[in-house]
Amino acid sequence: MSDERVLCLSEEAGIAESLVRLARSLPLGAQGRVEALVLAGAPPGAADRLAGAGADGVTTVSGAESGDPQVVAAAVASVVESLTPTLLLTGSTKRGRELAGRLAGRLDLAVVTGATSITLAADRLTVERETLSGNAIATERVERRPALVAMLPGFDAPRAAPAASVTRAEHPAPVVAALVEVRERRPKPGGEVDVEKAERIVTIGRGLKRKEDLVLIEALARALHAEVGCTRPLAAEAGWLSDDHWIGLTGHRVHPKLYLAVGVSGAVQHLVGMRAAKVVVAVNKDPKAPIFAQSDYALVGDLYQIVPALTKALGG
Amino acid sequence: MAGKLRIGVAVKHGVDVVLTRADKATGLIALAGAPRKTSDFDKNAVEEAVRLRDKHGGVVTAISVGGPNAKEALREAVAIGADEAVLVTHDGWADWDTRAVGRLLAAASRTLGGFDLLVLGEGSTDHFSGILGPRVAGELGVASVAYARKITLENDLLLVEKDLEREVEVVAAHLPAVVSVGQEINTPRLPTFLQNLKASKKEVRVLAPEALGVDAATLRPSVVAERVRVPEVPRKLTTLTGATPEELAQRLREALASEGVLP
Ligand SMILES: Cc1cc2nc3c(=O)[nH]c(=O)nc-3n(C[C@H](O)[C@H](O)[C@H](O)COP(=O)(O)OP(=O)(O)OC[C@H]3O[C@@H](n4cnc5c(N)ncnc54)[C@H](O)[C@@H]3O)c2cc1C
Repeated sequence: MSDERVLCLSEEAGIAESLVRLARSLPLGAQGRVEALVLAGAPPGAADRLAGAGADGVTTVSGAESGDPQVVAAAVASVVESLTPTLLLTGSTKRGRELAGRLAGRLDLAVVTGATSITLAADRLTVERETLSGNAIATERVERRPALVAMLPGFDAPRAAPAASVTRAEHPAPVVAALVEVRERRPKPGGEVDVEKAERIVTIGRGLKRKEDLVLIEALARALHAEVGCTRPLAAEAGWLSDDHWIGLTGHRVHPKLYLAVGVSGAVQHLVGMRAAKVVVAVNKDPKAPIFAQSDYALVGDLYQIVPALTKALGG
Repeated sequence: MAGKLRIGVAVKHGVDVVLTRADKATGLIALAGAPRKTSDFDKNAVEEAVRLRDKHGGVVTAISVGGPNAKEALREAVAIGADEAVLVTHDGWADWDTRAVGRLLAAASRTLGGFDLLVLGEGSTDHFSGILGPRVAGELGVASVAYARKITLENDLLLVEKDLEREVEVVAAHLPAVVSVGQEINTPRLPTFLQNLKASKKEVRVLAPEALGVDAATLRPSVVAERVRVPEVPRKLTTLTGATPEELAQRLREALASEGVLP
């Protein structure tokens, strides 16, 4: 069996550390190595934290401070040339996928994104990933190296002991002209809720008739010590709630103890976001709503009658 | 940019995720022979390409890499307003992975004389690798912007609002460029009966990889799906009843208390 050299990189410091731990947990062979990259914009102390997470080598790239993924890809490609990794790991975030694509086009890599787990056995690399809009899990065999795997945030990353000795290196990025210039950067509104960490969520869908009626849902959420979630139409089309409430394929994936879906039909793209919930309750006036087939408790009826009653009954 | 604007738009005839069902006994999904339709975001891509052409002039060429039925996706693109349709296909198309499709799109762009702007969906409804736009741009060595939710063009300067998880970036790039668009960028028009009829008669240019200078033997898959299964999440499927909303609420309170999920 040949030894694996894994290169981990992510624009998100927390994901980069988890990638190092994940790489460490794989059978890499006696001479196998876990390398980590520190890119421009990383928080101070990032190199130490990657070493602490179990990397054998940490390379700090100087330069390549650019919002153009092409410039970052050029820097990573030059590191790839010197470290010759067999496997690159990154996060399946928007920036992660954009960089993965640029790198793959440049280096003709095999790529798997949206990965939930990785298996390495006797040189065989297999990856599980979400597919069919998140409705299914595909097991994919990688037939070409080097390969790049982008892990969906939230993947398992067991803690590992730091390596006995850690090689530290500086790598000056090649100077390339940016093709894309960032003119403005503005944070999205919201940011006050983190549904991904919530223990209880009350999600509202298009069953809500008017924005003013959100107070009903907010009152129920308060009674349950829950966060408010929503389906895509309420955030993306109506704009009644900010994007940080949006749950599903193109929104957030959540794993609460309790998920209460109110006036939500249960479209496949929504179900993928709530699949990991422990207990699912649905309130819907349509007894045939698909959400009921994915629920532990079904309450058939008008939300305008049921929600106030729930708020009273559950409010202590 | 010399002369009129040449816009390419990539469309995928992908697996229909709503109609596809798993085998009841095994939970496995067979992708071969599964029902297909035009990938959702690709319609946003076509709509955006057509709007840009209507505003700035030029030609929109829709390209699909896939099997013979992908002509249906191309005809839908023409019905929305694309001027030309090109299908890149081969007997072994079913084995083509993202790498192969990326290489063929890059080769098609070169062979068809180069596009000033190539528009793609951010990801496909079925596979959603979400990397194809940047991958093609990386191979062509041109500018790329992903996650576009607004595109404006001023001569050969492209301004794009890029929709990231926690922020929006406004970025500028000169043509040629590859842009991938999200669902929020527009609402694709529903073609009229007449537009559909006209599109159904549109001739689709069919090209083999060799015609694009790509040896099909080099397109062997770099990633192979061994199996696709629907994860089984057991749910209790209990319908609660009560004579009044208050009684119903009480039943739920009892159920949630015994589950231990109340605060
Ligand atoms: C590529 C793609 C990505 C997508 N990503 C997402 C995503 O991330 N998240 C997401 O949520 N969606 C997503 N969608 C959209 C998804 O397909 C559905 O359109 C959406 O989830 C439907 O939202 P809804 O359930 O609120 O609305 P609807 O489907 O309109 O359902 C409303 C429900 O409310 C019920 N109702 C109405 N009035 C009442 C009442 N008075 N009392 C009780 N019940 C009532 C109705 O019976 C109905 O079941 C995506 C779609 C696509 C194509």
